[in-house]
Amino acid sequence: MRWLATTLAALITVGTAIAQPASDAPSITTADWQAYRTKFLDPSGRIIDDANGEISHSEGQGYGMLLAYLAGNRADFDLIWSFTRTELLLRDDGLATWRWDPKSAPHVTDINNATDGDILIAYALALGGDTWKAPELSRAASDLIGAIRKTTIVEHEGRSLLLPGVSGFSATDRPVDGPVVNLSYWVYEAFPTFDRIDPDPVWDAVYRDGLSLLKEVATGPRNLPPNWLSLRASPKPAEGFPPRFGYDSLRIPLYLARAETKDVELLKKLGKGMSSDDGVALVDLASDTVTETLTDHGYRIIPALANCVAEGTAVPSELRNFTPTLYYPSTLHLLALAYLADHPGACG
Amino acid sequence: MKPPMIMALSAGVIAVIAAVGLNRREALDWTLPQNMLNFGQETDKAPRLVNNATTQQPAAVLNEASPPSADEIVAQAQGQNPGQGPGTAAPAPAPSQEVDETALRYFARQGDTKRLQAEIARLRALYPQWRPPADPLAVPPQGDPKLDAIWKLYSEAKYAEARKAIADRQAVEPAWQPPKDLLERLDVAESRERLINASDLKQYQMVIRVASQTPSLLTCSDIDVLWRVAEAFALTDAMSRAEDAYGYILKNCDDPAARLATVEKAIPLLPRDALDNLFALERPGADGKGEFQAARIDLVRRTVGDAGKDPQAQVRPEDVAALEAIADADGQASDALLLGWLYIGRKDFAKAENWFAKARKSADSAEASQGLALALIALQRPGEAEDVLYPWRTASDDARKTYLAATANLLSIEPAVEVAPAVLERIVAEAVAARDTATAQQLGWYARSFNQHETAGQWFSTVLQWKPDDEPSAYGLALTRLQLGDRAGVAEIQRQWAGRSERIAQLGEVGTNRSARRPTPSSPARGAAGPAPEESRGTVTSPTVSRNQGSGQRRNCTATDLYSQAKGQAALARGWCLMDLNRPAEAAMAFEAAMETGDAATRRDAAWGQSLAYLRSGLTDQAAVAAAKAPQSRDRSIELQTSILTQRATSFFEAGRYTEALLALDQRAAIAPERLDLMVLRGYAYLGIGRRNDAKRVFEALAASGDREGVKGLATLNNVDQTDR
Repeated sequence: MRWLATTLAALITVGTAIAQPASDAPSITTADWQAYRTKFLDPSGRIIDDANGEISHSEGQGYGMLLAYLAGNRADFDLIWSFTRTELLLRDDGLATWRWDPKSAPHVTDINNATDGDILIAYALALGGDTWKAPELSRAASDLIGAIRKTTIVEHEGRSLLLPGVSGFSATDRPVDGPVVNLSYWVYEAFPTFDRIDPDPVWDAVYRDGLSLLKEVATGPRNLPPNWLSLRASPKPAEGFPPRFGYDSLRIPLYLARAETKDVELLKKLGKGMSSDDGVALVDLASDTVTETLTDHGYRIIPALANCVAEGTAVPSELRNFTPTLYYPSTLHLLALAYLADHPGACG
Repeated sequence: MKPPMIMALSAGVIAVIAAVGLNRREALDWTLPQNMLNFGQETDKAPRLVNNATTQQPAAVLNEASPPSADEIVAQAQGQNPGQGPGTAAPAPAPSQEVDETALRYFARQGDTKRLQAEIARLRALYPQWRPPADPLAVPPQGDPKLDAIWKLYSEAKYAEARKAIADRQAVEPAWQPPKDLLERLDVAESRERLINASDLKQYQMVIRVASQTPSLLTCSDIDVLWRVAEAFALTDAMSRAEDAYGYILKNCDDPAARLATVEKAIPLLPRDALDNLFALERPGADGKGEFQAARIDLVRRTVGDAGKDPQAQVRPEDVAALEAIADADGQASDALLLGWLYIGRKDFAKAENWFAKARKSADSAEASQGLALALIALQRPGEAEDVLYPWRTASDDARKTYLAATANLLSIEPAVEVAPAVLERIVAEAVAARDTATAQQLGWYARSFNQHETAGQWFSTVLQWKPDDEPSAYGLALTRLQLGDRAGVAEIQRQWAGRSERIAQLGEVGTNRSARRPTPSSPARGAAGPAPEESRGTVTSPTVSRNQGSGQRRNCTATDLYSQAKGQAALARGWCLMDLNRPAEAAMAFEAAMETGDAATRRDAAWGQSLAYLRSGLTDQAAVAAAKAPQSRDRSIELQTSILTQRATSFFEAGRYTEALLALDQRAAIAPERLDLMVLRGYAYLGIGRRNDAKRVFEALAASGDREGVKGLATLNNVDQTDR
């Protein structure tokens, strides 16, 4: 209730379970999930990032659990969760280590976390715990959400920020330009759920501040934000990263749509800015040049979805068919398709 | 009736963990279930894990006679007869509770003794009344191949896949419930993996948290987990909890190898008192001796080793004695080294010498030689120290420092002992290479003690280039200049050190002791070696650093290259380099090039260098010309003019041009005090031109100061007088 009473009410409508399948029919079809897991889910329970040396990471595990949940597949959810818990959820602070490499021993070589991975895992656990009445999942969700709140959120000049990782991004860790954030780590749809399980005003603040920051920096000729943002002074691209609207940022409109944003202007701007003639543009923001155009359906469906939500434009039918390609675009594709499945009749 | 074992033991473990949880509330309290927190609330001293365990049998060891062992069960299941017919075993009493024996029967059929045994232990702990079936195969299997398939995944450690298989089956058969046993075992197995992964990544709080959530992990049947939990306690500074955990193993687990390994693992982690408590839990080994004998030796080594690193650390005499006995018996260099360092730290240098010498004898090494050298320096035998360490001087920074301490001490011995030329040469090379001010300064004093004043002055100057605030060297240089009659040079040093050094300020005043004592190196005591040889001819090599200090590079100038293209600074460097090689003619050319192509500072230095080069060649007039090519500092110009006039005086005298020699001497006397040898020259010059009275006055002055040349001069004068008559 407090949640709805905030300024967010003007921006979003928060259902109690945004990503929950609307009916018995899952948001992701059995066939699509089957195709996805055949390609990216190892029998041991890890999601394989086939574009990155077959490694796994907390983001992939979180996506995998969320997709399995959206596909209504408890067995695969349990499989992925078991791996995640035993192989990644190892940090003293209760967060997941971010990277798991099949070729190294121990498989975890970097103890740092990736906060979006933690958020996705916690969110999927919370949804699974509710829907399947599984208290052990809800307990794990609650633990992880508490750890995210205590460890990854910082207050900086009146903003509540998600640090991308516990190490390496804070004002202390980056004396030149810290804190540094990544606006695509704001999985907006998760925060209302987090607030329900772990009631704290900070979730509202994180949501709101992420969104206002996004609007503040989505400027320039294309109205696009950079992947990595320094907040040391006024927001600007972080040192050491290309000033680019890239693979990270392109999922922001998807996250906004899935969080049921009512800010159609923002969606419209982002959808338009990232579209090029035949795909999704990765843009060097310093020179305003397109460095790469992505044509994978998993990418192309994102501006299509933004236009659909903002203006009711139909999503082209070829984008509604799922054929797995690579881990990342295929994941985004299924998340977009799940949104469409949950909104029958919308977008043609 | 026996108490339930695992549960009771686990309660103790929980208590221990909960207490830590309370101390580390920030990290742990949000995961510890309430019942665990309750244990630790009464006092800071949580109930000790072992208190609950002392009266009980070890969890993993079922030494009761009546029920069949896991091996026997497996043997039966495999169709073998372990000497006891299938029918002879007493039938198990009907369990009073319903016990799920699915897993047990599965493992029996698989012949998986280890897991079967663990399962029997677990079920007995849960159900004290329960007895394992005499023949797990006697009861027909439940005929559930799907469940068997899940157990198979479990037994293959494919826990995630087992989870999936359970959920898959439930999706198809909504009424089906997995055995509670299966879920519990999966939970334990996953927790075990998680604990080990966290432990490998040094996430010790997570290790403790997982252990607290899954206390049934903590049994003798999985001692690795116990070790990891104990280590996690120790490395999160929960020492008494760590001690409890290791003690738990020693009180409850019987495997001899694991027990020995337990104390060995504890040794590097726990304080000595805690280790004593653990060693007190020693049992007699198979050979009648204590089972921890080998570990005790490790402990002694570690204790003595730690004491060697920290002179303040306590070490027990019996530990030292024990290690000495071992070292004597086994003759291992490593033990001798530990003892050597111990005695260095305890300032018992004779014993240290003894042990390091033994270590070297067993296996010479940089460490042993360095230790021995330190002991020898402390024992005031720096010459031996130098010799011992010279071959190892480059092994490490420490070795080099020790070596240079030895050299500085060796040279500082008073009265000076003659150092063999070869040794002196290598000391010089090392001192220069390392820019070691202590040794270089001592080389200055050493040269002084053999009346090699020019060389002494060069060494002191060298030190001052490396370390301009080195007062002892400034003092040494001032003394040397005084000795050489260079009043202006002394005054210059006095000006530079005004207010900073009383003894430099007082130098040259009436009553000042000119044979000033040298300072001694700071490191170990200087020795009173035997008297110096009467006619010592120890020679100290001049420092071979090039004079362009600061550039830090020594150019190779050995190739004769009259047409060297070197310009400016490079030419200057080449000039100094050639001077070092005592090739003054080429040096003069290099300096000429530097003057033509260098900036003002370079020109000044080059003119100075060229003057020195000409002086060294005996080309006094050219030296004078060169000196005038660029303005020099007051210091330098006085030094140059003095040298030039000295040479001139000498040359004129040798050429029999006494008047001109006297003129040069007068000019020289105007800017610098007259040296005794020049006074002699003056006396004979007067004699040469017939100024006998003047000659007599000079020789008398010399003789009055005890100078033998003065006496000789007077004698010559008398002879001449007699001849003339």
